[in-house]
Amino acid sequence: MQRFGLPRFEFVGRFSRNRGALIGACLMLIVALMAVFASVFFPTDPLRIVGLPELWPGEDPEFPLGTDSLGRDILSMIVHGARATLLIGLFASAVATIIGVGVGATAGYFGGWVDEIAMRAAELFQTIPNLIFVLTIVVILGSTLTNIVIAIGIVSWTPIARMTRAEFLSLRDREFVQACRSMGMSDFRIIASEILPNALPPVIVLSSLVVAGAILFESAVSFLGLGDPNVASWGRLVGDGRQLIRSSWYICAIPGIAIMITVLCLNLVGDGLNDALNPKLRDR
Amino acid sequence: MAGELVSPTPTLRGSARRAAALRLLRRRLIQAVPLMLGVVVINFCLIQMAPGSFLELMTAENQVSDPATVALLRKTYGLEDPVWMQLLKYIWALLHFDFGFSYRQNMPVIQAIWIHLPATILLMVSSITLAVSIGVAAGVVASMKVRTLWDSLVSVAAMFFYAAPSFWLGIMMIVLFSVKLGWLPVGGMMKIGGASGGPVAGVIDILHHLILPTLALGLFYAAIYTRVMRSSMLEVAQLDFVRTARAKGLSRNKVTIHHVLRNALLPVVTILGVQMGTVLAGSVVIESVFSWPGVGSLLFDSVSSRNYPVVLGIMVLGSLVVIAANIAVDLIYMWLDPRIEIR
Repeated sequence: MQRFGLPRFEFVGRFSRNRGALIGACLMLIVALMAVFASVFFPTDPLRIVGLPELWPGEDPEFPLGTDSLGRDILSMIVHGARATLLIGLFASAVATIIGVGVGATAGYFGGWVDEIAMRAAELFQTIPNLIFVLTIVVILGSTLTNIVIAIGIVSWTPIARMTRAEFLSLRDREFVQACRSMGMSDFRIIASEILPNALPPVIVLSSLVVAGAILFESAVSFLGLGDPNVASWGRLVGDGRQLIRSSWYICAIPGIAIMITVLCLNLVGDGLNDALNPKLRDR
Repeated sequence: MAGELVSPTPTLRGSARRAAALRLLRRRLIQAVPLMLGVVVINFCLIQMAPGSFLELMTAENQVSDPATVALLRKTYGLEDPVWMQLLKYIWALLHFDFGFSYRQNMPVIQAIWIHLPATILLMVSSITLAVSIGVAAGVVASMKVRTLWDSLVSVAAMFFYAAPSFWLGIMMIVLFSVKLGWLPVGGMMKIGGASGGPVAGVIDILHHLILPTLALGLFYAAIYTRVMRSSMLEVAQLDFVRTARAKGLSRNKVTIHHVLRNALLPVVTILGVQMGTVLAGSVVIESVFSWPGVGSLLFDSVSSRNYPVVLGIMVLGSLVVIAANIAVDLIYMWLDPRIEIR
């Protein structure tokens, strides 16, 4: 298999010279570690009542981020919520990437009416108002984690499909592909083991941005009270705190800041990867 | 592509441009038919997957248990037919603008949506207007002062609003501007009982209620347009015709406004079209935060009461709004760049 693109060390060098991307990657690492080791830091159930209700952040050194209306530790809920939020984001992005790459690769490689149908389908999913579609799917099929992940994946695949298709269109008539074809290699093998590895880098960058979008989606679904009732994601924490904004607005503010920082970091990392992949497009 | 742009010379004039616009309109309308059909089929099938029919909920709510009545209702609502027959009947009814009947509001679905539509359209239009004006202005400023403090400030603000969940931003603004400062109302579309002092006071009252929801929904898109506008301005500014204009002795501001801005707007317009559905969907969440009496509230109510005819109707009408907005965007695109005959 032939590979195009930058040598790896050059790519890493470009990425690490981008200050924003580096900060984003570091913060993202912290959030990820938080998610992985949540039960090590806070072994007790985050939904257990541990103190006085509505303690403001800093009021009691035992609860640095305060407690909610029932007296649950907000810091513990944030750390445990990181796991739910990140997992939903990652899996939803994986669903979107699988659908998008499948559709885009088929459309770009075969062209003609296959391409026409695939692109019309993409247009169709861009026309249906996305969040409304997610809400309807979740309500009809039930508010479980799996359904939410699938629903977000279903509305997020179109940009990935378009990008994969564009990459395939530019690669499918290159010499190395023609060589494989003349050797009698099957279409599936050419797609999967010859073109796809070359088309993948920009697609992966895009799917890192889809993770950010999926986290925002999930937070909106949970905020509206349609999330999985067994999962305390950050969006749900914002929704839970909503009734108390007059007395204790921090209950709402803190999980929102967590969402914002995570999404911000993912965007910074995605932009950094993009710039490192396409050095020509920097400063745009 | 922007790289192939030349100086904005009008190539089509008057009647020729009108004819081209009409051709575009006709082609777009024809393309919209299979798209709408797809929307209807997908959503209809989705709703068929729901466990139990809305009839069960309806009879339970109204405490109807008589088997004969239930059978009659099943027949009235056409639930006896096979699914494909129900689909065909639904499509046929849609062609006559019949979206079914909402037992909950006790009125046709189209009427229930129609009542809520103006509030949502108002919110969408004001948010998009805000997003485009802030985005374009901030993008132009950042690109003219590239690599200065201004540029950095604009970029940081854009990053911030691009990452903040709109509903959270809305709540935080309520905390600041309504609860703490008391400047703006917490929610709703007008004062309870209406504002006193005639229609002018009424309009001012609605605008007063509109400020926070517009900011909450619009700032996210303003952030996107800022980033797109900045990069697009920088790209266009490097093209040959801009250098020519400068060489002719035109001032920098004049070149920026008359030559660069107009061409740099094209990507913003493209994105605007693509995002119309997202804006509509985003208004659902914002309407919930601000108790805004729009389609979002109706959808939320219908989704939780499993009032599927209304949900289906909102999906279909929502997609129709998106398609119409896209056609409008294409026409704007053509007006901005007369050389383009959109496929």
